[in-house]
Amino acid sequence: MSADPHTDTHGAAVDTHGHDSHGHDAHGNGCAPAGPKRPTTEELIARKAATRQEIEPGADLMTISIGPQHPSTHGVYRIVLDLDGEIIVDGRPEVGNLHRGIEKLCENRTYHQIVPLTDRLDYIASFAMNHGFCEAAEKLMGLEVPDRGRYIRTIAHELARLSNHILWLGIHVMDLGTQTFFCICFRDREYILDLWEMLCGARLTHSFARIGGVAKDLPDGFEYRCRKVMEFLPKRVAEYERIVKNNRIYYKRAKGVGVFTAEDCYAWRVTGPPLRSAGIARDLRKDEPYAAYGEVDFDVAVEYNADVYDRFLVRMKEIRESCKIILQCLDQMPDGDFISKDAGHVLPRKSEVMRQSGAMIQDFNQVFRGPQAPKGEVYRAIEVPKGEMGVYIRSEGGGKPARVRFTTPSFYHGQALPALAKGEMIADMVAIFASIDVVLGDCDR
Amino acid sequence: MSALMDAITAAFGARILETGDFRGDLTISVAPEAWLEVLTFCRDNEATKFDMLDCLLGDHLPERAAAPFALVAQLVSHTYGHRLRVKTALTEGQAVPSVTSLWPSANFDEREAWEMYGIGFTGHPNLIRLLTTEDFEGFPMRKDFPLEGTVGGRVRTDLRGKI
Repeated sequence: MSADPHTDTHGAAVDTHGHDSHGHDAHGNGCAPAGPKRPTTEELIARKAATRQEIEPGADLMTISIGPQHPSTHGVYRIVLDLDGEIIVDGRPEVGNLHRGIEKLCENRTYHQIVPLTDRLDYIASFAMNHGFCEAAEKLMGLEVPDRGRYIRTIAHELARLSNHILWLGIHVMDLGTQTFFCICFRDREYILDLWEMLCGARLTHSFARIGGVAKDLPDGFEYRCRKVMEFLPKRVAEYERIVKNNRIYYKRAKGVGVFTAEDCYAWRVTGPPLRSAGIARDLRKDEPYAAYGEVDFDVAVEYNADVYDRFLVRMKEIRESCKIILQCLDQMPDGDFISKDAGHVLPRKSEVMRQSGAMIQDFNQVFRGPQAPKGEVYRAIEVPKGEMGVYIRSEGGGKPARVRFTTPSFYHGQALPALAKGEMIADMVAIFASIDVVLGDCDR
Repeated sequence: MSALMDAITAAFGARILETGDFRGDLTISVAPEAWLEVLTFCRDNEATKFDMLDCLLGDHLPERAAAPFALVAQLVSHTYGHRLRVKTALTEGQAVPSVTSLWPSANFDEREAWEMYGIGFTGHPNLIRLLTTEDFEGFPMRKDFPLEGTVGGRVRTDLRGKI
């Protein structure tokens, strides 16, 4: 498996910039500046044309349906493809098999009760969804989160990103034919889930964010274990890269496949790693900082070839950056409250509810009436592992929102699949679909 | 008032019915007739350059009897990094032009707004139900639709519709 990608000629489009030029690059830190040659948008479009097959007009098309119960569709996504031989001419995605009416439910719940519902959007990185909703609700209510709460949120959000990207990597590579690697990724994701278990008791649906802060302070011993995990994860990423990055089979399946330029990404609202793999350093953690992202030092992972392979590279860089962010947050962790003391909008600490009458009244008010939000509407977007997630809230005043809309990345990524896969071979659709990272809970809401 | 709002008010004047700035979110309201024109301007003008439609959503405000429905577009510009919300108020059954020609990503959003609220879109390539089943009756996100629902569902069998 020590193939040298230089000998590869996949289509007319092989250009290897610094990262993948040598088989022994796996020990590098992965965030080195990109190599000398960066393709321009015109070159990317030319490449796209070169890798994509000519479709004969008037050809006899075959229509097949993939999904909703198909391993490569990562859930209950269905796409109906028109094929000319093995070439995808057109496709029609069908979603909604997992629709649970979460937005309708939100209109009938208090703001605090909505937080557990957001877990069920993107259940792979559920804290990111909690966080997005709480940021929007705090913007609506004009709440300030205490420093310690902001730092804990940052750590939790990056843990969600790590668990998402590691799971993604296992599934993506499994879709392309290797089973063992999936188990390797699950082994390492287990360490993240153990940290989650320490943090809030849950491993999948955390509901850890609260309006005004987080549910609990960091438990004893968390910092030590978290540091240990963050110190060895980059070594594991190097191992992943040794296994995957220079693997001839993976390289051939991924390089130059599914080219989607920045303009395409904007038109189809494809954000997150696919956009950053097209050379755009767009990351809301940097561009519109929230939580403690403005106070830590990290790089935005960018690649330039806009294909499946570069989306993989972007995510590997993001894992390393997440580890850096978490270690910095642990170093800089301020003392103080982890949740705001604003009695009008925030749930009191459970330890106080049974002992202090003020906290008991506050708890009663918050649970039954909900936090009293002003009349108005807000939109808040944050960078979740899969892309940009926005929450729109319209409030008529009172404890329940009048309208909530979750603008989730998978909804748009799933929609864009035919545009990404048009002209590609049907086998490449699997690689392309995995590379844009769709979770159907996130898509169907 | 920012340069962004200046550019828009200079171009449309009194056709911008209302402007708002709540918690830093800039908002404009337009008439349904100006919907496509304003959004086209927002995308193409040099001072606005909204290259991405962040989301497009429907809304139901039964207390606003004259125009109980609303359509909200959240725009974002990667050139300037600014955001804008464009709103329009609609009556029951009123249709607006589709913006899928400006941003293809509006396709699913408009289908969702149609199936959930019954807001029509003219010029949409395939305005069929998206998240609910094809035989679903009613518009579930309307405020008068019961939370627990009304009917069961069936799997869609027609695969030939053009998306």
